Amino acid sequence: MRLATAFIVFVLPFFLVVEALDAETVEEFAVRDLFNRNVNAESSHTNNWAVLVCASRYWFNYRHMANALGMYRTVKRLGIPDSNIVLMLADDAACNSRNHFPGCVFANRGHALDLYGENIEVDYRGYEVTVENFLRLLTGRVEPSVPRSKRLLTDDRSNIFVYMTGHGGDEFLKFQDSEEISAFDIADAFEQMWQKKRYNEIFFMIDTCQANTMYSKFYSPNILATGSSRIRENSYSYENDDDVGVSVIDSYTHFVLEYLEGVNKTSTTSMKDLFDKYDPEIIRSHPGVRSDLFHRPLERTLITDFFGGVAHAEVMHTGPPHLPSSTLVPPLAQVDSITEDEHMQVEVLHNPMDGTGDHWVGLYRAWGAVGIMGLLVAWATLNTKW
Amino acid sequence: MPCGKERDGDGYPSTTTTTRRAGLITTMSGHGSSKEPSTLTFERPSIRVWILSSYLVFVVLALPLWWSTTSIERLSLPTSRVDSLGSKELHLPISVAVDVARPRLPSDNLAQKIRTLFELRKETIPALYSRLELAMDSSRGTSLPDTYSISLTEDVEFPTIRGRHLSVPIHQANRAPDLLLDLLTPYGTPSPPGTFHHLVAKYSPRYRLAFTLLNEDAAAGRAVIGWDVAEMLSRWIAPVLRQMSELHNFTIESQIRFYAPLAFEPLFLNNGNDLIHGLTQENLKVFVNSAEWTLASSVSNDPVLHFVVFVPSMSRTPLRILDDTSQPISSNSFVLPQWGGIVLLNLPPDTPSKLRLTEAELDHVFIGFRAQLLRLVGASELPQDVRSSEPNRPLTDFQLDTLYRQRTFENAGSSKETLQSIVKLVDQISNMPVGQDVRNDVLEALSALEVLYAGVWSVPALALQHSSRALTLASRAFFNPGMLALLYFPAEHKYAVYTPLFAPVAVPLLVTLLREVLAWKKTRKARNST
Repeated sequence: MRLATAFIVFVLPFFLVVEALDAETVEEFAVRDLFNRNVNAESSHTNNWAVLVCASRYWFNYRHMANALGMYRTVKRLGIPDSNIVLMLADDAACNSRNHFPGCVFANRGHALDLYGENIEVDYRGYEVTVENFLRLLTGRVEPSVPRSKRLLTDDRSNIFVYMTGHGGDEFLKFQDSEEISAFDIADAFEQMWQKKRYNEIFFMIDTCQANTMYSKFYSPNILATGSSRIRENSYSYENDDDVGVSVIDSYTHFVLEYLEGVNKTSTTSMKDLFDKYDPEIIRSHPGVRSDLFHRPLERTLITDFFGGVAHAEVMHTGPPHLPSSTLVPPLAQVDSITEDEHMQVEVLHNPMDGTGDHWVGLYRAWGAVGIMGLLVAWATLNTKW
Repeated sequence: MPCGKERDGDGYPSTTTTTRRAGLITTMSGHGSSKEPSTLTFERPSIRVWILSSYLVFVVLALPLWWSTTSIERLSLPTSRVDSLGSKELHLPISVAVDVARPRLPSDNLAQKIRTLFELRKETIPALYSRLELAMDSSRGTSLPDTYSISLTEDVEFPTIRGRHLSVPIHQANRAPDLLLDLLTPYGTPSPPGTFHHLVAKYSPRYRLAFTLLNEDAAAGRAVIGWDVAEMLSRWIAPVLRQMSELHNFTIESQIRFYAPLAFEPLFLNNGNDLIHGLTQENLKVFVNSAEWTLASSVSNDPVLHFVVFVPSMSRTPLRILDDTSQPISSNSFVLPQWGGIVLLNLPPDTPSKLRLTEAELDHVFIGFRAQLLRLVGASELPQDVRSSEPNRPLTDFQLDTLYRQRTFENAGSSKETLQSIVKLVDQISNMPVGQDVRNDVLEALSALEVLYAGVWSVPALALQHSSRALTLASRAFFNPGMLALLYFPAEHKYAVYTPLFAPVAVPLLVTLLREVLAWKKTRKARNST
């Protein structure tokens, strides 16, 4: 039905405008146009980027480092090159003097997998992990001296995976225990990225307490968001390791990473499969998904659209080798497309957040504060004897 | 503790203020009724009023300072000029002369056909070509350098290009209008799905080209230890770069690496008599093992286009690309969109264990690279069986001009959008600063764009320069580090900051003010009643 409507919408103008063309050609153009549009709707990105943020420092937050490093390992395994991964790690648990396993970060009880490994590139470390640097990274407003590895050099064909972890609360996430970023700031940063065409699609994932509030303020298109816990709900760690002495990973991230272990570079697992697997019993909080800004059906959105590497490769047929002395240059190349051209319907899913009334609460609080001030002044005046 | 004995055993720890006040009280009570408090010089109402009003004056005088230090510098942007860009259009006229060398040929008819076809294409592909205008000149030959010309002739066997002139053999006269328009508006032709357009890298005034020779495993029997890259570059790549020098500034780097493992296992299959290793189309997407290959240096922030020769190890030779039916195809090169190109180089089994690649092997590779480069920077293809008669010019003038026009169009659109989004964001995000440098960049980009839109550009290279400048400036304005909006600061937080500072000062001031007002009212009442 939708297809039919779209068909009419596309075809009619052509009929009106191009009367000289015979009907068959017109229809062919229109169909091709429609087809092309839908191909774009399927997956029009050509490169993938990942921004992984661990916002908290100190040894007892070991698990947040492990969360971010676990994601780092996974996106790298699934094909995003290091040059396209920006890893922000507020502290270096591997080199902490309390670490019984120097140079290693483990995310499980048995020390099966060293996440720090041998090939790891931390782009922002320690006190460089600030709200300001994070926002500068996203919006691209960095100083000219900032090196390539610390920049997000994306364009309108980039799919970006943004992962954040740390300690947070209702609409904020703490950075380094000294400052915080609010949901509004991230939403505004994404809007600026959208305006400058710095992304094709964003997949935002956050693991913190009350995480789902962090994506409630987004308003830019093509953002898919998921978080670990509802408002007024904590996210918990997954397990302790007795040798390391602290919790080694968070429950939600552990769940997602476990799931992604079953995905490889060529797998066709969709986002919907992942979200359907969410189990509040296992995760011990209620993960949320926001897809009302996202304009592709989740069952057609592959996990590798955000975690993978290259979306297309085109084989080129070059002409036979010839010597420069020849007088005629052959056509240089023809391109064969080997991308999948699947036909699909665009469907919009809704999962709106219940965020109404926040404004009024703020207003009441403000006037309440003024009232208390007034009462204080009045009380002091009346109690003074003169 | 000299004041300790004055404390009257109230049990409070001594602080200077309490003690002094206690002393004052003692003094007052000591003199008792003999002196009214109102008669003391410092207790005169006028002094109290002075003190109080000096505080108030201070607050009022400090307000502008507070305002200027807490507000954000937001210079006004030329909103209306940016808005008026929306309706402007580029003028990129194309003038075509139909060369009637032989009067008996139906050239008028040809001109008419070209025009009709052109109008038709404009209707169907609105993006760029509605901006193009066709000026037909069917008089014999024209001397203007930027005029394209077309002629029907018996001298050539295939349609042939020389400069801006297209010669079509007479027996292909019917194809002539199509050919000409395919050359002038190649992006506009309805091409099959999966066109190469998404391969094209984003425009940048500077590119870095990184040429890499990868040995899959030099330790496993055979190693390529050198290649005549400089020679190959000057033979195959440099002419292209020279032609595109108006568009981009290229920097070239090259390297050889001796160990470059694949991250997956290619298919091993039997193709007739040969055993081959095959890359499926899924494999191609994950071919670049970015975790272990270092392909470009990170010395600058210019976008990099990679060109990789991959020499499979002896145990993986020959490595071929497979089609959907797992049959090897003849091509051995592929392009990753916006990233670069890869050519597989299978060396014959009898090559020595250490070798240096020379032109015999490399010519083919670099022809592949050249084709990939042209594709990545957005050059169009020549229509089928059209030949160029200038072998040392890899791009014909038709292709080059088309590229100029295409990039001009893209840059103009993109800088227009950037300016519009700056204006919109500044309007939308109230705590985003706009400094002098941002404003200057916006103004300059705007004037470059206005020049671009006002002009009629029959020389597309000039238009490109303006558009490139506009894009650079607009992007610089957008990415100005000073444009970072302040953090969102809710109203409650503001109260939380100001209350502890000002409430302790404000309460006594307000109380005294009220007292003074009440006292004044009382005295007035008393005066009225008497």
